[in-house]
Amino acid sequence: MAGILFLVLLFFTGAYEKYGPTPLPFVVPKGWPQPPTNIFASNPSTREGFLLGKTLFYDGNLSRDSITSCASCHQYFAAFSTFEHSFSHGIENRFTQRNAPGLFNLAWKTSYHWDGGVNHLEVQALGPITDTNEMGETLDNLLLKLRNNPQYPPLFKAAFGDTAITTKRLLKALAQFTGNLVSAGSKYDQVKNGKDSFLPYEQKGYEIYKQYCSSCHSEPLFTNDKFSNNGLGLNKLNDLGRKRITGLSRDSLQFKIPSLRNLKLTPPYMHDGSMGYITQVINYYTVIDSSLPQLDPILKKPIRLSERNKAELLAFLFTLTDTSFTKNKNYAPGEHIIFRH
Amino acid sequence: MNKCLTTFIALFMFTSYKAQSQPDMQKIVIHFKHVANGKSLHPDSVYQNPLGETYSVKKLKYYLSNLGFNKQVNTNISLIDAFATDSIKIMLPYPAKKGTFNFQLGVDSIYNCSGAQEGVLDPLNGMFWTWNTGYINFKLEGQSDYATTKTKHFEYHIGGYTGKNKTMRQIRLPYAGTDRTTQLYILVNLDNFWKGQSDIKISTTPVINSPGAIAKSAADNFSGLFSIIQQ
Ligand code: HEC
Ligand code: HEC
Repeated sequence: MAGILFLVLLFFTGAYEKYGPTPLPFVVPKGWPQPPTNIFASNPSTREGFLLGKTLFYDGNLSRDSITSCASCHQYFAAFSTFEHSFSHGIENRFTQRNAPGLFNLAWKTSYHWDGGVNHLEVQALGPITDTNEMGETLDNLLLKLRNNPQYPPLFKAAFGDTAITTKRLLKALAQFTGNLVSAGSKYDQVKNGKDSFLPYEQKGYEIYKQYCSSCHSEPLFTNDKFSNNGLGLNKLNDLGRKRITGLSRDSLQFKIPSLRNLKLTPPYMHDGSMGYITQVINYYTVIDSSLPQLDPILKKPIRLSERNKAELLAFLFTLTDTSFTKNKNYAPGEHIIFRH
Repeated sequence: MNKCLTTFIALFMFTSYKAQSQPDMQKIVIHFKHVANGKSLHPDSVYQNPLGETYSVKKLKYYLSNLGFNKQVNTNISLIDAFATDSIKIMLPYPAKKGTFNFQLGVDSIYNCSGAQEGVLDPLNGMFWTWNTGYINFKLEGQSDYATTKTKHFEYHIGGYTGKNKTMRQIRLPYAGTDRTTQLYILVNLDNFWKGQSDIKISTTPVINSPGAIAKSAADNFSGLFSIIQQ
């Protein structure tokens, strides 16, 4: 009797699983810290949710002009930054006010955007969707478009159990895609995992990085997720950075410390894309005017690097390029979800 | 984030405490009467604020949460639109004969920092900031010749959920009724928005659109807006 019951139970749980979404476990790369908060706590990561998020991410219908998708500013081949654009193109030839960062390892961030004004990954997408310089769409109209597009109701059903298309589900699905973008396959990571080794000049560059850069661009994420001023002054757009959010004068010109991962793929650099080349950035750090009032105290101590040291640092920074990330079919447009972590 | 977590725990403990001592619940209808200068609020009327400035109102929307008599509260959140909401219905235990009717103007901080929300908190209600994420607890928009903006438009989007500039306000209204009260009438007097603990002058501050000290002082006037019309 008990045996039959067990079999019946097995059958039901099996059948249940078949029709529910398949969990897509979020895997923390070896040696990395756990994310400070679990962004999937109320949004369980599933293959179906991820696939829906990916479909939305690559869909121009999310914008008013039906052309501008998330991916038009966050390009797959450029680690999801806008390649070689200081500012990105939104709808109707408008431009964003800041440089589009690469999108990866977002699950480890406690705030988003250069000024940290966004407190949760799920609500982040509301900004670009409704911003008149970006996608310029209203939520009402977007939901209507998605409901009338035969592609979407089945995708929402697969991810969330029924065909209802709501703001909350739209945002959760997008966050499943962006939150699962993990880049941890660079040469640096291979070295850390004992699968490769640095060339002598890369090793020297690593030492230089640890001496001058790691307090802010800290391993293994190559950012400590804090705000700082590295000496850049006020730009033409009068962007005060963090102060816009907190209203505090001590936060004036403070910006989120960006990750140094995938640098090679994400030019130009800084919140306003004002530096086109990594060599330019390295040179910049050696000539910072230490008398600047807002400058982070850590950078008051001059960084002196010979030309050779600069080349070594550059070589190390290139080891942070993760081509397995930019070739990962899970993240590419289309339906390839294989997921081998 | 830590702040977020503590509120969550507090909220959780609070709600589970409530669940234990659940007396008879009944439906209470709360009616709202929005007025300015003693007249019903109407989008086509012109009013004068206590600082002598004339204005008209195009939009008045705000969140109410944790409504209830004395210690009993209902944690549902309502979005009131002065030109669309005459009343809301909530489940509450029978009130005591007298005491206070309490609520919070605004949305608890936990909902401001834990991702996408639905229902009245759906961002498509236009009460959510996307660039400095969090809810607008109170929104008043209109026209005034005193506004220094190009279009003579004024707008007060009052929000902010952390630290000393948070804009949620606990409001306690003395209440005396019968223990079988099922209807409650609340007067929302816009005259008191402009003058209370601080002055909000259209000519000097036609726009409040971010958390901060100014939004905080506007929120300090909230409690003066509400009173119970004793039946
Ligand atoms: C018109 C260009 C453009 C479009 C379209 C766009 N973004 Fe962005 N994105 C940006 C810019 C610029 C920033 C930086 C904004 C800032 O810091 O103020 C950004 C920032 C982000 C961030 C924060 C990254 C971080 O590390 O803080 C995420 C996540 C993101 N975008 C996701 C999306 C999603 C999802 C979509 C589609 C719904 C989208 N973006 C559409 C330009 C764009
Ligand atoms: C005191 C903290 C601090 C230190 C130390 C520091 N940086 Fe930065 N770095 C920042 C901040 C803040 C930004 C963003 C500035 C902005 O956009 O306004 C930044 C930006 C960058 C960028 C641009 C990345 C991008 O995607 O736009 C690069 C590259 C960079 N730093 C490299 C370095 C190197 C190399 C070193 C060591 C020589 C270093 N940083 C040391 C704080 C620091």
